[in-house]
Amino acid sequence: MGPIVGIIANPVSARDIRRVVANAASLQIADRANIVLRVLAALAACGIEQVVMMPEHGGIRGHVMRGIERSRNQGETRFPHVTHLDMPVTGTAEDSARAARLMHRAGVAAIVVLGGDGTHRAVVKECGRVPIAGISTGTNNAFPEHREPTITGLAAGLAATGRVPARVAFASNKRLDVAVGERPAEIALVDVAFVTDSYIGARALWRTETFRELFVTFADPEVIGMAAIAGLIEPVGRGEAGGMMVSLAPAATARTVLSAPIAPGLVVPVGIDDWRRMPAGIPFHPHLAAGSVALDGEREIFFDGREAVSVTLTADAFRTVNVPAVMQFAATHGLLRAGASLLATALA
Amino acid sequence: MSTNPFPLDKADLMKAYRTMRTIREFEERLHVEFAKGDIPGFVHLYAGEEACATGIMMHLTDVDRIASTHRGHGHCIAKGVDVHEMMAEIYGKATGACRGKGGSMHIADLAKGMMGANGILGAGAPLVCGAGLAAKFRGDGGVGITFFGDGASNQGMVLESMNLAAVWNLPVIFVVENNGYAESTSVDYATAVDSYVDRASGFGLPGVTVDGTDFFAVYEAAGEMIRRAREGGGPALLECKMVRFFGHFEGDAQTYKAKGENDYNREHRDCLKIFAARVREAGVVTADEFAAIDREVGALIEDAVASAKAAPLPSARDLTTDVYVAY
Repeated sequence: MGPIVGIIANPVSARDIRRVVANAASLQIADRANIVLRVLAALAACGIEQVVMMPEHGGIRGHVMRGIERSRNQGETRFPHVTHLDMPVTGTAEDSARAARLMHRAGVAAIVVLGGDGTHRAVVKECGRVPIAGISTGTNNAFPEHREPTITGLAAGLAATGRVPARVAFASNKRLDVAVGERPAEIALVDVAFVTDSYIGARALWRTETFRELFVTFADPEVIGMAAIAGLIEPVGRGEAGGMMVSLAPAATARTVLSAPIAPGLVVPVGIDDWRRMPAGIPFHPHLAAGSVALDGEREIFFDGREAVSVTLTADAFRTVNVPAVMQFAATHGLLRAGASLLATALA
Repeated sequence: MSTNPFPLDKADLMKAYRTMRTIREFEERLHVEFAKGDIPGFVHLYAGEEACATGIMMHLTDVDRIASTHRGHGHCIAKGVDVHEMMAEIYGKATGACRGKGGSMHIADLAKGMMGANGILGAGAPLVCGAGLAAKFRGDGGVGITFFGDGASNQGMVLESMNLAAVWNLPVIFVVENNGYAESTSVDYATAVDSYVDRASGFGLPGVTVDGTDFFAVYEAAGEMIRRAREGGGPALLECKMVRFFGHFEGDAQTYKAKGENDYNREHRDCLKIFAARVREAGVVTADEFAAIDREVGALIEDAVASAKAAPLPSARDLTTDVYVAY
């Protein structure tokens, strides 16, 4: 049996308050299902015959299976054989984590993830060394790159089948590990922010006066969200060693004020007091005594002075499919030319 | 800790707790009283869902109007309808909010902006379009908020109202109280696309889903939507994912729920417990202060039941009163 690819498309992403406070997009379920169908077609074109998906009750599954059945009824072989994991559905991000755990155990060759930073974080928590290929369907999406999903599907398929060698196909990524007292460890893929709100509430971050400290794995001036703040001060690449730490303050009292796109369409003044590079493996302790920790832009944990809090950058924490590298390799080695399969494997 | 990390001051945090506790106590007591057979008609209890009504209504005044559902007691209490009059109404007594002629499913108090509980599923949606239009013409900054369940969201008039609200850019908020069951039919079975936000998108309305068991999540999201509506930003949809502790109606055997589901929800998804623990841990309201509210609310409900039981039934002469509105 050939390699199996997993797909995790959680319907709960992109539903938060940023649709009201920041005019963020709201990708409909039918569109998400269509993205899955595009990915499936691309995987099949690369020779992937088996795909396993996360079950959900949001409407994606029905739409996808209808599309596959219609194609099959017409005698086409456009799609791989699709099954769904046998697991309970909670309708929360926990489903993404559980599905990743099960796919990891099942030995899938890669996992294609549809979602925003939150969905990707849930998957990375549990996927081990299984490489992931992210498709942006969330709100801020600093982690998954914006790209037509068909291309991401092709790259995932070419990487999963081994037609592109692993040294080219996969990239290693940094991660932030967050420890709060004795609670279970948490991770973030892009940013950890400490804010003064001591409640989770609507989760998103948009009141800049509450921002105090920010830690990022990479700082890209082209992304939005908290990472944009760091990116506009001093860019740090995804593949570069180390991350960055930024001290924030209310704009009225800060040393420097930066206009930063902290959410879609929300470019606001953010007060900056200081910043420094963050080497891997060294725990950083926030100065804020009590408040919430936001992981990849969403308030997740509240804490007070009774608990020790630390943030540590971990290098080479998980793998992603390097889509540009895979597609370059595919082009230069003619992987998608008719009859190219054997030749390409020999070259690799 | 000396600072208050919440978006409400201490007085409002205590008010929110008092409202949620009053709803809970009211419903838990009705659960007991209804089984005695003294209450006419049906009652549909809101216990477990208090954070939704309260988180939204904390932003409203009497100028704002709401239209409720068959499960309306929580909305009434959070909107400020007198608890004694509500209890008397449910008992069908002449001292009730509607003089004993409405019962549980038709409690209304226009002075409080409560346009009525409603036995017709989804019927509140067109009503608040009217309220929203009136507020817009008057320029009084009022908003109209309708509540409906996951089941009623599939009613045509809800969708028609979203269209109307969008076309007229009305200050209206559509609140889906998604407790997972349309009577006894699960959302997964009965709704083609479970994301109610997608319904809103179909009419160009922004939609947001929040954890309806988290008062602060509802409060924050509703606050932003209501402010947007007051400022002329137009309608929006808020989906609150929540749990109901009791059956669809009192007497419902709840065979459609998983074994232990109610116990799990009471243990882990009780909005009152979650709220109280959070506020207490932050050191803003003490356990003693919460206990004092509990005692006060207990006495209030006790008195409301005693008064309702002692009150007279409407007389035969009352049959023809309050049938038409006098102009």
